[in-house]
Amino acid sequence: MEEVDRILIHSLKQAGTDIDEDVQSVKQFSSELIVEAVVRCLRVIDPGLGSGLSPTLPPGMSARFRLGMSLAQACQDLGYKGEIGYQTFLYSNEPEIRSLLMFLVEKLPRESAEASDQPAGKSVLLQKAIAAQIKAQLALPWLPPSCRLPLHRKTQSPGLCHSFRAQPLSLPYSQKASTKKQAKEVKEYWREHLVPVTSQPSHRASILASLLENHVSELSAAQEWENEWNSQGLLSRLTPEDYRSRKRARLQKRIEEQLRAAAQPRPDTHGTTRSTSDLAELLNSFGGTTTGGDVLTKGTRFTHAEKFTFTQEPEKAAQQMAAAASALPSSHQSEEDLKAQQEAELSGLQQQLQQLSVQMEEVGGDIRQLTVSIHQVSDELKQRELSNSEKEDTVRVKKQTIDLLPDAENNLVKLQSLVEASAKRVVHLAAQWEKHRAPLIDEHRRLKELCSNREMESSRKLSEIKDLHDKIRQSAEEAKKKEGLYKQLITEYETLPKDVSRSAYTMRILEIVSNIKKQKEEITKILSDTKDLQKEINGLTGKLDRTFAVTDELVFKDAKKDESVRKSYKYLAALHENCTQLIQTIEDTGTIMREIRDLEEQIETENGKKTVSNLEKILEDYKAIRQENSALAAKIRDG
Amino acid sequence: MELSDSVVKGLQTLADPACFDLKSFSAFTEVAFDSLLSSTGNGVSGHPALKNIDQALLKHCHVAATTFILEAVKQNADKSTISSCLEDVKFDSEKVETFYTSYQINKRNLENLLSSIDRCPPHITDASWRLEYCIKNGHVHKVNQPSYLISFDVENGEREGTSSEVNFSCTLEQLQDLVGKLKDAAKSVERATQL
Repeated sequence: MEEVDRILIHSLKQAGTDIDEDVQSVKQFSSELIVEAVVRCLRVIDPGLGSGLSPTLPPGMSARFRLGMSLAQACQDLGYKGEIGYQTFLYSNEPEIRSLLMFLVEKLPRESAEASDQPAGKSVLLQKAIAAQIKAQLALPWLPPSCRLPLHRKTQSPGLCHSFRAQPLSLPYSQKASTKKQAKEVKEYWREHLVPVTSQPSHRASILASLLENHVSELSAAQEWENEWNSQGLLSRLTPEDYRSRKRARLQKRIEEQLRAAAQPRPDTHGTTRSTSDLAELLNSFGGTTTGGDVLTKGTRFTHAEKFTFTQEPEKAAQQMAAAASALPSSHQSEEDLKAQQEAELSGLQQQLQQLSVQMEEVGGDIRQLTVSIHQVSDELKQRELSNSEKEDTVRVKKQTIDLLPDAENNLVKLQSLVEASAKRVVHLAAQWEKHRAPLIDEHRRLKELCSNREMESSRKLSEIKDLHDKIRQSAEEAKKKEGLYKQLITEYETLPKDVSRSAYTMRILEIVSNIKKQKEEITKILSDTKDLQKEINGLTGKLDRTFAVTDELVFKDAKKDESVRKSYKYLAALHENCTQLIQTIEDTGTIMREIRDLEEQIETENGKKTVSNLEKILEDYKAIRQENSALAAKIRDG
Repeated sequence: MELSDSVVKGLQTLADPACFDLKSFSAFTEVAFDSLLSSTGNGVSGHPALKNIDQALLKHCHVAATTFILEAVKQNADKSTISSCLEDVKFDSEKVETFYTSYQINKRNLENLLSSIDRCPPHITDASWRLEYCIKNGHVHKVNQPSYLISFDVENGEREGTSSEVNFSCTLEQLQDLVGKLKDAAKSVERATQL
């Protein structure tokens, strides 16, 4: 039973029950512990069933009764065949509880064992690491700061703290272009003047932060590019460089459009006209120069915009400043004078403006008229030229006919033969053309087909490549996962206690098996012995009966003749009777002995049921319930 | 451990025996660890053993090596991880060994440095209390309630371990609440260890 109890307690602990170390067998289980164990098991087996039950025994007696009833119901729902009721939990006896717990433990899902083969997620590993760290820190005693060694600094007060502050680093390599393509000056800067990265940050604490941040940003940029290339770049059938340059051009165009739209001069703001012209200029230069410039490879719209705002040439800014400054009133004239002057100037300027606009309109009308007339004239000229060439043609034909007129008949015949010959030639040419055309068309068709085939092939290959990419990624991930699992299992294996060796267990199991075999043999031997004995007894009884019958007959025959023989016959009968009685008594003793043994066993089981203590408990609980009831009744009366 | 292309390139240069023989490599490793741990010193460019190596290349290798060291310490990498990583970029076994020995020597210090990047709340190191009994105040003639004046000695990590005090007063219920919450916290820390 000890072995069984140990296994039971182990399984219950795994199911989440909090069992003390000194509880070694089911006999020591208290009601609270039983209830908790059963509820935990129920929760693991069927969360829906167990979630409504509380793992702690409530203080009120009636609530305890209800909990016991519902627990019994739940166990029966799970298929427990044995006798079960609230008394099983509240007034426990050992064998019942053991059988119930065995049933529940058998019902516990086995997947938990299989789940441990799955690789634990990163978060689980991290949590384990955290738990180990906390455990280690909890094990250390606290030391006052003056007694602290540098060794303790990590676990106890961490000393000086810095926040994570990264600074941009100047690196001796370029992400965008290979080192060979870099300008000579840049290389020289790297070689001669660049300070090592660890000396670059102004604050010592930010060295680590800057380096880490730099690395992570590089990694994530690479990852993003990879994603984009796999999702879109591969389908565009371009080399990576082409794809990049095309994307860059597209982005530039979009930014340019956006900026142009935003920089449209608006009539209601006077001041902007100047700056918008600058903006337009800048836009032009922007479109021209940036292709060769230092645009980020993964330039987003934001970076371009940023670049645009920050690279504005200083000269232009200076110009703007000067213009703004000259526009300010620089004289010290009195305000009225200034006003009058300004008004006069304004009216003069307005007049001028009106005049100019009138003039503009006039000139505009003139220009329009003139352009219309120019169009007309040029059209006429074209028509004339056409008619002229036509007329020239007719004149030439007529001239030739006039030349041919003197020898009209001969010439006619000649002309006819000429016409015939040319007609023949036309037919001949057409036939020839047909001859040539057919193979050419065939060739064309063939090539077209080839082309489409190729295209299909290439798209097929493209999809294959994509599949391969996916596969590669998947396998890499799988390999990584497996490696992690391997490592985790190795660490787990190392942490496992080494003393419980497998061979010892198998030895024990084999021992037990051989013991059982021996016992079985013994039992069969005893059984055969018993059978033999039974047979012997039967044989003896038969023999006895037969001998008795023969003797009885013989003696009875003689007894009629002889008086002494009659006496002996009487003795014989008495002997026989006494012997049967004796046998009977022996048999009776045997049955009684058996009964006694049975009764003893029963007494033992009854003793195991803790009847007395349970009865006392029941009595107490009964009193408690009565008290509760009376209290409730009193409350009702008061209410 | 994931490494970016530039780091991989730098490490490959380091692995190349034409650029770094074993002697200059060990000098370089030492310098790289030193440059992370102490801000003084000239860093890589001034070391006599590394004079005849192209300085731009050297600086690139320095960036790669320091980044690799930091990543390894950050992830608490063990020997197998580090050696598999370095073998991937074609380090030979001697260089791996050299690197790993210096890594082991300096790991603790680097861990301390990394863990100092933190915002740490003040640590309570001691507590003292006084009982105050309020008989009456400006509003009520008879109050007759006790209150506790608690004073925590705290150690502040952000200002080089200077200790300061946190003072407050609370009623009995509030104090009980505080004690209960502290007990809860202690219990949940303990529960966190039993994973």
